[in-house]
Amino acid sequence: MNAVIDTQDRAEVRRLRYETKQRAFLKTLVSPHVIEEHRRSPIGQHSEPLERLLAYFRRRPLAGRYAIMVVKPFEAYRLVQLSGERGVPPAPSDETIYRSQAEAEHAIFLRNVQTLLT
Amino acid sequence: MAQVKLFGYADKISVKPGEVIQFYVNADGTDAADAQLVRLIHGDNHPDGPGFVEQEVPSAIDGIWRVEKQYTQIGSFLEVPDPQRRLALGGSLTLFAFIHPLWPQVGHRQFLLGRWDNDKNVGFGLGIKPNGLLEFWVGRGDEVDYVEAEVPLRANMWYFVAASLDAATGRATLYQEGVVNRYNSVLGKVTPLDLRSHVAESFRFRQKHLDDTPFLMAGSRDWHDRRGDFVSQLYCGKIDRPGLFDRVLSRAELDAIRSGGVPPSDGMVAYWDTTDGYTDQGIGDVVTDIGPHKLHANGYNRPVRAQTGWNWSGRNDCFRLAPEEYGGVEFHADALIDCKWKPTKALLLADDLRSGAYAIRLRGGGGTGLGEEYIPFFVRPKQPTGRIAFLIPTASYLAYANEHLSFDAPIVQGMSGMTPILTDIDIEMYKNPEFGHGCYDSWADGQGVCYSSYHRPVINMRPKYRISSMDITWQYPADLSVIAWLEHMQYDYDVLTDEDLDREGVSALSPYPCVLSGTHPEYYSERMMDATEDYIEGGGRYIYLGANGYYWHVAFRDDEPWGLECRKLGDGWKAWEARPGEHYIGTTGQKGGPWKCLGRPPQKIMGVGFVSEGFGTSAPFERMPDSYEPSLAWITDGIEGDVIGDFGLSYGGAAGVEIDKYDLSLGTPPNTKVIASSGGHTDNYLTHGQLQLHQHPGTSGSWDHRVGADITYFPAPNDGAVLSCSSIAFGQALPVNGFDNNVSRLLANVINAFIKPGPLPDSSERAAEPEDVLVT
Ligand SMILES: [Fe+2]
Repeated sequence: MNAVIDTQDRAEVRRLRYETKQRAFLKTLVSPHVIEEHRRSPIGQHSEPLERLLAYFRRRPLAGRYAIMVVKPFEAYRLVQLSGERGVPPAPSDETIYRSQAEAEHAIFLRNVQTLLT
Repeated sequence: MAQVKLFGYADKISVKPGEVIQFYVNADGTDAADAQLVRLIHGDNHPDGPGFVEQEVPSAIDGIWRVEKQYTQIGSFLEVPDPQRRLALGGSLTLFAFIHPLWPQVGHRQFLLGRWDNDKNVGFGLGIKPNGLLEFWVGRGDEVDYVEAEVPLRANMWYFVAASLDAATGRATLYQEGVVNRYNSVLGKVTPLDLRSHVAESFRFRQKHLDDTPFLMAGSRDWHDRRGDFVSQLYCGKIDRPGLFDRVLSRAELDAIRSGGVPPSDGMVAYWDTTDGYTDQGIGDVVTDIGPHKLHANGYNRPVRAQTGWNWSGRNDCFRLAPEEYGGVEFHADALIDCKWKPTKALLLADDLRSGAYAIRLRGGGGTGLGEEYIPFFVRPKQPTGRIAFLIPTASYLAYANEHLSFDAPIVQGMSGMTPILTDIDIEMYKNPEFGHGCYDSWADGQGVCYSSYHRPVINMRPKYRISSMDITWQYPADLSVIAWLEHMQYDYDVLTDEDLDREGVSALSPYPCVLSGTHPEYYSERMMDATEDYIEGGGRYIYLGANGYYWHVAFRDDEPWGLECRKLGDGWKAWEARPGEHYIGTTGQKGGPWKCLGRPPQKIMGVGFVSEGFGTSAPFERMPDSYEPSLAWITDGIEGDVIGDFGLSYGGAAGVEIDKYDLSLGTPPNTKVIASSGGHTDNYLTHGQLQLHQHPGTSGSWDHRVGADITYFPAPNDGAVLSCSSIAFGQALPVNGFDNNVSRLLANVINAFIKPGPLPDSSERAAEPEDVLVT
């Protein structure tokens, strides 16, 4: 019999192709206005361009996704990146300290925008 | 110096004065911890509230405890007590089983069955190599002989596998055949698959045995110099009807077993009939040996029963209809039900200890960070005395116990609309599988976690803890805000837990004129549902102080209340989904899933049920016309204006996180009044699938009128009544402004009326208009 052997997941091929087109579209949504909107209100109701960007960022593969690490509750935070691998703790992103959750959220947004544009 | 870390748990969650509670503590980096009994008052450190509040309560065990490193056996497996060593076959043998591997290439050898010492290489075993190949081996200490298959096993496919050794000739054979039908495996008949492998080798020697090696399935005996004996080579997958013979079974005999035939009696040493033991009421952890010696196997870390077997035909959806198709016993390498640590200290609870939320506070090293631990428990009164019972939703604490959503659930950021906010304790849990998982997680092999337990440290059942994916208090620490409010208002209250309600039924509630729920009482057994319904029908006055409650059907065992079983399926939003044919709870034989799918939507008891959830923002309530009815004016007495709860520790509003709604079609009693409703929620709040059976754009907060919470009130028979607050964020609004706010006022108005002997304030007006119910 012509038996099946493990093969590449074609859904992944499709995802990468879709996301290439999606990124090209999302790049057109980045503007100083959207960035300012996010800075003012990183969490909550957003304009459609901003929400589309966030929806994309929130669905990146777990490996490498940003998270916020509490240094001092309600006072100091820094950024880490998830491993996406069970049992492997997140890796520190850098030493920058953010004074609020909103500041940290916005720093993550700026990094994600930068990655999108490059 | 090593970092000091303290973690612990107690044997019970609900105790009374005069009873003994046992504590188990694990210590890293220290051998001493400073212990203090404390009464917990408030657990949310949000700057808009009172912060963390505890009271030290002198106890006989306060002071320095000797603590030590403890070891935890994770992974589920079966162990066969065999004192006469009948399974220690030294000559010819055959091993066989139906198997359904979940993760053949997990990266370590997975043991299926045999009598094998992994440290000393003595015995025999059948297993799966790290590369996914079936393997049979024998060892005599200095050497191991083995034979392996030529075709790797595939995940989620059923096989019949066997191995035999002819002691006279040394011929060892391996037998591997697929047993795939239209229903039982991930791939069907149209896939060109070669699942078969038959291999023979000559072994140079025969197996030896050590006296104390246990016969195991789904794991093998191992040794560590500090830990001692433990079990490694843990298997991920199902095993169905395994057996052991003291002779070589022929290919034809094995073919017959593979086809569903009864194994021959000639040479049978053991044959574990995994389908034996089912009753209408479920099944336990013992797997029956129907062979000559009745060497029954005991489950460790609760292998999952009530699972489909190799011969599941797709026609019967429950073991109650066709137990012979439910022989699959499912194992997970990271399952954990009970840490089984050495006891550290016990406390005899003083006779005068007042009912409430207590904990043993432990501090080691500097006493901060992971060097501080709280082991929580609840003290009921010896005899109920309070006017109010605060019913602690411990079943829901169990379901959420040690959830890993921020790390392992790709959907969580999309759901929450925010980035996870992690602390040291989250990382510590993530690094160590010894913390186990909750019913929001999947085991590493991909299957959903259907069991949870508090016989392990539960990091999110702790004061100060914030759920990392949502950045608010959740469950236990959120419910402490209700305790803080009861304390501040100086109400005469007792606490009791879901465990007590499940065991005692309505008699646990009936001494109290008024019962107050927790903020998110989501997981309910049938006995808990019945008791709650009977309490209200019997004249009890119930305040449902949260949302998304009375939602999932779960079950506790009578004799092991620390464990919970939860099968996720049906029209609820769910972290995982039980497989087809596996929708019935092994603990009770009842169907799992949302209560709504079983004919008991929460609206039927509480007047409201789940409609939406969202995170990052909450909204206020606005008063509705019913609140201005003169007969109901007592509910909002002293509240000025239309807006209630435009503040709170959960995203700044009293309506939010998860919210419930009035719905006549789902059983809201027609005499229910809507006191206040919320609206204006963000598009992070989606309409739940129970109300919106087909998804389409435009059903989220800023689009859909249904996305909102309803505070409802209805009088029940015999002077009973129900107030439903319909929002998880409601409880987190209570502590704002020193508990002086209109949410606190509304709740106090209702409680004051509910605990007052005699009829409710609106009862005389109701008597004047008896037709009100009927005309709706
Ligand atoms: Fe929930």
